[in-house]
Amino acid sequence: MSGAHWAMIGILALAAFSIRVLGLIAGGRIRASRNAWVLDDLPGLIVVSLVAASLAGQPLQTWVAAGAALGAAVLTNHVIATMVIGVVAFAGLSVIGQ
Amino acid sequence: MKHGVIAILPLALGAAIYGFAFGLLAAQVGFPWWGVGLMSAAVHAGSSQIVAVEQFASTQTVLGAALAGAALNLRYIGIVASLSDILAGLSLDTKLLAIHITGDENWALTMAERAKSPDVGAAFLIGSGIVMITVWTVSTTAGAVVGAVLPDLERFGLGFAFTAAFIAMARGLWRGRPQILPWMVAAAVTIVVISLGLPKAYAIVAGTVSGLVMSLILRRASGVVA
Repeated sequence: MSGAHWAMIGILALAAFSIRVLGLIAGGRIRASRNAWVLDDLPGLIVVSLVAASLAGQPLQTWVAAGAALGAAVLTNHVIATMVIGVVAFAGLSVIGQ
Repeated sequence: MKHGVIAILPLALGAAIYGFAFGLLAAQVGFPWWGVGLMSAAVHAGSSQIVAVEQFASTQTVLGAALAGAALNLRYIGIVASLSDILAGLSLDTKLLAIHITGDENWALTMAERAKSPDVGAAFLIGSGIVMITVWTVSTTAGAVVGAVLPDLERFGLGFAFTAAFIAMARGLWRGRPQILPWMVAAAVTIVVISLGLPKAYAIVAGTVSGLVMSLILRRASGVVA
């Protein structure tokens, strides 16, 4: 492994960990401030943004499968059940679409 | 901790597939298998590693590639900040360990499970995090070692499993109607930013911040926040 490979691993590790530490410091300060509501709202907003990022630009089949997964999530409120139903719906739609 | 270890296993399986594929990519641009394992254990950020390695391969610029990868991880400021309650009371060493082993999947699962049961906390986060960083490190290393062609697992819906898991987690974090507008704004902004051609990781940050702004506007309008 060359010096460049070592340097990239080192810089990336340092940068990634620094971002996490920044979050740790920010979290403590926000929790003690009048903006503590931000910490309540953040998780849902990040997860919704992750879902939207996964669906952006995807074909209709993916959105329909996401709808099936959402239905399963609403009915079961269970992660694994939702994953199974979502993947089965996605695979089924893929087969139909071929 | 055992609860977290078991609960994260289905998500860890999905991460292993991507980890294996990343290991193949990293090996192709000159990282030895042990270097890939070292990177995964030290960085523990899938999207950052993938982008950094791709950039490194195409530009051979160390600093630019590393910073481009790290920038994709900016959402972890919000993710780690939201763990403030869970990490409160832990020693600094344990906090630093916990934030390093926290990834999208075990963080979201911890928050969703905690919303259902307040007993879920640091032990669940750390147990599930240990599984995720272990699986990520082993699978990326295995990908680099094997160097074989990965079959097209995406068409069987394995990639969609993550989307379904996040949908389930969003359901677990649902608290009622006041969330509708901020969540819609977050989703819409994320999609618009991606459609403009920007990387998904930036879109996630933009969507989250936009949702927070909408939440603040609603709270001010209802007099909850001055």
